[in-house]
Amino acid sequence: MKDADLALYPEHGATAKQSKEIRYLKSLSHVLLGCVGLALSVLSAAADIPLYPTGPSADSSFVRFINGTDAALELTAAGSQAKVKLDVKTPTTVFYPVRAKSDIKGQFAQAQNKSDIATTVKAGEFVSVIALTDGTKLKHVTIGEEPDDFNALKVSLAFYNVSSTCANAGLQVVGRNVMLFEKLGVNTLTRRMINPVKISVQLLCGEQATGAPLELGDLTAGERYSVFAVPTATTTRIFLASDAVAR
Amino acid sequence: MAAGTLAGIAMLVLGESHLSLPGYLMNPLYEDLTKQGATVHAIGACGATAGDWLKTVEVPCGADRFKGDTVFKGRAATTSPIKELIAKDKPNLVVIILGDTMASYDNETFPRAWAWQGITGLTKEIATTQTPCVWVGPAWGTPGGKYFKNDKRVEFMAGFLEKNVAPCVFIDSLKFSKPGQWATVDGQHFNLAGYQAWSANITQALASLPVVQGLKK
Repeated sequence: MKDADLALYPEHGATAKQSKEIRYLKSLSHVLLGCVGLALSVLSAAADIPLYPTGPSADSSFVRFINGTDAALELTAAGSQAKVKLDVKTPTTVFYPVRAKSDIKGQFAQAQNKSDIATTVKAGEFVSVIALTDGTKLKHVTIGEEPDDFNALKVSLAFYNVSSTCANAGLQVVGRNVMLFEKLGVNTLTRRMINPVKISVQLLCGEQATGAPLELGDLTAGERYSVFAVPTATTTRIFLASDAVAR
Repeated sequence: MAAGTLAGIAMLVLGESHLSLPGYLMNPLYEDLTKQGATVHAIGACGATAGDWLKTVEVPCGADRFKGDTVFKGRAATTSPIKELIAKDKPNLVVIILGDTMASYDNETFPRAWAWQGITGLTKEIATTQTPCVWVGPAWGTPGGKYFKNDKRVEFMAGFLEKNVAPCVFIDSLKFSKPGQWATVDGQHFNLAGYQAWSANITQALASLPVVQGLKK
């Protein structure tokens, strides 16, 4: 199912829509040009400019959903029949814009197992809801991020560790003695900017290399990505996801 | 500056309220650019943000100038989707003059996520057309006024744009004057002398950009 089908969450209306309302609702203060020498027609036109906002009433907020299990699952939103399938090939949704502080409710479902989602997102926050399983029960972890590193000239790479068996997680650049991330606690994330170069990374749990190296591929400057460390039945695996926002 | 430095370049120039009145930036800039040989289509939309140029949004006022006099619009003014404008005009350079409408001068917290989303949405849309673009950042105003413009935030806004408008090339208008040097009528909009100075500086800066020099026929 396409992302566009997931029109299940509160519309993010705090930007253009609210701005438009504000434009009409705010008092129409007039520009008074006292500039000597301006033609009367200019003065007349200038007086017609209403006051407009120079930004939104609240920053944008986003939520996405990630399948951190080894099997496919379905995501539904409360009050909707629409479903999004998340599997190993496509484990994440895009970041959907949502209204800050609104209730986000839905459900992960995998066979007979279900995990009800209920969260809110702060203004300026990017929230990731990550489905996990302990082998029998489906659950989820919610991690929020308020990034301040927006930069079109660099790659922004986050590292999420939601594997309870991988303490002090790290990512090492394969073939080089360089750590991209170190000592990341369970159910936390960290982010940094890197140059748009082609690299592979190796997960370390503590100082122990764990699982196979992951090729990150051609990362594009200006784009944002995340590497997720998720538990499996026997170990921890990592995968890469784009942090793309729904347009 | 020698005449004809922009000869052969078809420009689509989009902006906010600064481009929406004859005594503002619209006419001085249009005239400066055309004097240098550019063919210009300039559109102003009061209060429009970057994201507003991805769709049609009603704005309280605006202006449009293309091969003739400026058409000033009241509440009939709208933005237009950038891809439609580019498809129609087929410019070989897009110039965005935008910053004040996204700076949240009256808010202690700068809306980073919202600004990033709008800016990158617009630059990516332009990039899909493979049209080179230049983004002109905000100029110093005078602190206070009804828009609460202030030096600290306008400096932050310019820095944010500089980091986020790629692949567009950034022109930093803060380098054109000192804070408060250009008198304003309301803290944000300049008097005619200020707009003439801003226009002359933008024109000169455009002409010196390698991306623009590469377009000259």
